[in-house]
Amino acid sequence: MMMTLEACKILADRRDDAIVVCTMGAMNAFDKLPANPLTMACVPLMGGAASIGLGLALARPERNVFVVDGDASLLMELGGLVAVAQAAPENFFHFLINNGIQFAGLGNLVTPGHASVDFPALARAAGYRACYRFATAEALQAAMDTVLGGAAPAFIELVVGYDQPALGAANPAVEMIDARFTRMGDEIRQIRQHLGAGDPVRD
Amino acid sequence: MIDHVKHSVPAAAFISAFKRCGIDYITTVPDMLQIALHQALDDPAHGIRTINCTTEDQAIETAAGLYAGGRNAAVLVQNQGFYAGINSVRALGLDSGVPLFFVIGQFGREFSNLGADPLQSKRRMVRMLEPLLDTLEIPYWRLEGPADSDNIERAWHASRERRGPAALLVGHFIGF
Repeated sequence: MMMTLEACKILADRRDDAIVVCTMGAMNAFDKLPANPLTMACVPLMGGAASIGLGLALARPERNVFVVDGDASLLMELGGLVAVAQAAPENFFHFLINNGIQFAGLGNLVTPGHASVDFPALARAAGYRACYRFATAEALQAAMDTVLGGAAPAFIELVVGYDQPALGAANPAVEMIDARFTRMGDEIRQIRQHLGAGDPVRD
Repeated sequence: MIDHVKHSVPAAAFISAFKRCGIDYITTVPDMLQIALHQALDDPAHGIRTINCTTEDQAIETAAGLYAGGRNAAVLVQNQGFYAGINSVRALGLDSGVPLFFVIGQFGREFSNLGADPLQSKRRMVRMLEPLLDTLEIPYWRLEGPADSDNIERAWHASRERRGPAALLVGHFIGF
């Protein structure tokens, strides 16, 4: 079974100059990989990654945008698939980390529809131009040339496993650090700076 | 008999203001009061592309993504849509400091309230908008008729200067 960190490492290795918008489990994985000024986390804003990525892809058609979404997050804004497909950015690659649970590694609560929802079929029906599903790191690695060289917007479901829950009687609570509430804005400003976007008042 | 011209700002005035502000994208879940503007924006000659979203959250998030990429977007929604999108406003506009320019239609406003204070509307949908914006510490400008047209650009510039949300409240149907 592929794990989230394995999957994200493959994406990071193949991103080239792509902007990455990640959320939830993928955010935690990208935090363990070398920092990149074109990576931002959609947090705490469950469900927003694909639409933020859509805006970036439209604004910057010269480079790819990787959205690395979560299954429960995507379900919160499923209609976003339609908005992406209608806008049809050809540089938009929507990866879905699907572990079938919420609060992965913390509480492991089952996601609605975890055993029955066919996400690539939903994306295909919404109008994505290419849809894939991979369940092993080897298969994902082998397919990356095809995915990145193929039609887009593309949707790529990555079926992954998960760790045991950390929260329990012996560890009953976790506190959110301040950065959890400020990093998204900091990372948006960092992306703007890296891309050479001007000051919002002067330019 | 309602004198609609007295309470309406033409779509062309919006588009001219948007162009002066450098707005090149609209993200929206369409608003009934803004139908004339939505239709006018369909003309590609304006050079402003509209991205139709299925929820107001997406409209806000897409606008934030466009901003991250160096573009300028206006978010066109109606009052109840703004109510639906508050967590995205909180996350991106307030906590993250992303400039967000909202054009919010006062959907459902009774004609007998035109020319009067929207806070005195008999409809909660209308009268709760300004107190909610006050609670969220979001500045806003009313657009109650042609004399208020400069408020379009005022609200836009406020969003840039404060690096956060600012709103233009459209009180009546935009004119064709």
